[in-house]
Amino acid sequence: MAERRTIASLLSGSTMTGGGGEKLDYRPTAVMPDVKVVKIGGQSILDRGRSAVFPILDEIVAARKLGIQVVLLAGGGTRARHIYSIASELEVPTGVVATLGKYIPMQNARMLQMLLAKHGGIYMLPDDFEKLPLYLQMGCIPVMSGMPPFGYWEKREEGSRIPPHRTDAGVFLSAEFLGSKRAIFIKDEDGLYTDDPKKDPKATHIPRITAKELTARGLPDVVIERMVIEYLPRAQWCKELQIVNGLKPGQVLAALKGDDVGTIISV
Amino acid sequence: MSNPGGDGRTHINSPLMRESLQNKGVLATTDSDRDLQIFPDVSLVSIGGQSIFDRGKEAILPLVAELVEIKADKTIKFVVGVGGGTRVRHTISIAVDLGLPVGGMAQLVGAMEELNAILLNTLLAPHGSMPMQRDHFWDLPLYFDAGITPIAISVPPFHFWEPPPTEGHLPMHGSDFGLFQLAEVLGMKQAIFVKDEDGLYDKDPKHHKSAKLYNKITLAELMKNMPAENILDHELYEAFLTAKSLKRVVIVNGLKHGQLTRALRGEDVGTVITKETRRG
Repeated sequence: MAERRTIASLLSGSTMTGGGGEKLDYRPTAVMPDVKVVKIGGQSILDRGRSAVFPILDEIVAARKLGIQVVLLAGGGTRARHIYSIASELEVPTGVVATLGKYIPMQNARMLQMLLAKHGGIYMLPDDFEKLPLYLQMGCIPVMSGMPPFGYWEKREEGSRIPPHRTDAGVFLSAEFLGSKRAIFIKDEDGLYTDDPKKDPKATHIPRITAKELTARGLPDVVIERMVIEYLPRAQWCKELQIVNGLKPGQVLAALKGDDVGTIISV
Repeated sequence: MSNPGGDGRTHINSPLMRESLQNKGVLATTDSDRDLQIFPDVSLVSIGGQSIFDRGKEAILPLVAELVEIKADKTIKFVVGVGGGTRVRHTISIAVDLGLPVGGMAQLVGAMEELNAILLNTLLAPHGSMPMQRDHFWDLPLYFDAGITPIAISVPPFHFWEPPPTEGHLPMHGSDFGLFQLAEVLGMKQAIFVKDEDGLYDKDPKHHKSAKLYNKITLAELMKNMPAENILDHELYEAFLTAKSLKRVVIVNGLKHGQLTRALRGEDVGTVITKETRRG
């Protein structure tokens, strides 16, 4: 029988399982480290409409005019929950649920693009990161869906039919790919609380916490998707998540300028 | 804007409305013991890159001939995918040296698998085959009805969003995982991996003469004593553990004529890894 024709390389013949990287010298290169990757929450912001969205976009445009490079990613919100709920009743696999989950953040991204068009808002497809340098050098504000493109390939999580990677994960993974050190999440709370402040008025604010402390607390209603907290300690670049309150004037612009407002979750 | 939810956010009435999708109790309400199985009579066939394609004509042509024979039996429905082999390893070793992010590596590798998919389709097309676009699964009934073998994209579309690996610097989600997940989400009957060994051994048989072949083993037994050097990617087993529909993964030797045919007929050949599913 003919032999395998292998190309000599440090990995040739390897099964590519179990990391395989021990003998490799890896000195990571950041792709676009100055970019601020920013999520606009679906349920928390977009579902509130004009009163919440417009002031936030004003601050983003102001930041862009200061030369700050911003990429906006949209969350899903109540329509995503609605389709998740019906799909779950029909017992469709998680991969199908994840595929359905792509459409709503896409709608939201398109809405944001229409509003930002006059300030350089440009709609970007998931695999368009390669065009970012052009958009940003032209002064544009690229807008895209926050949903990772896993779709049908989304693995299910034990005890749930909801895709574990949703728009928070997409934002974190985008920041990590681009080599940005902090991902910013615009929500409708000042960040992290000891419990869901919408349900428990005694919940207190946490300005800074590590992923490890957060996991140890085992909070039932974590403000960020669990996958992101799991990935954070393994990140090469994106080692901080910042959650800011988009309903409080000035918070978004402060965060874009690099100020520690809201809650910072770090490695 | 109107405010039917009373908290400034407009909600659509649904059981998940206003609930945190991070809450385990809420998540549990979405789950059940079963998934809808979309194509339960279809098998997934994965043809190895290193193990088959990198050997060239002598390994590829007999396997294509076997696929053509199998196609004569219209009751056997299958989707084919291919691995990328040594070119994937070369791509990644250069990418690692350049310090490219793991998502960048994941974005690059699919092209190498695609080369093998084009070669396979070139050989199979005269007998009826077509590359299937990424997730055009809803075309599958047409393919089967027309006797056309779909050739699927094997690398999952994680691309720039490949998560940071648990160890090392390489992407974790390769073609084994991608094809497994494709079979799982579509509720297929089994996933068959065509390699250049008779199945899964307790040690790499290429380096250890004493290596012992597993014939039939449950996933639970295998997980207790997982061979370190494995013919399938680790992520495949991880996905198999939480999978609801797929209960059978088969590894056969593509260098031995007839093994794939027997596996497609549902016979126990090579290594058969089974899983007890909760489905009644």
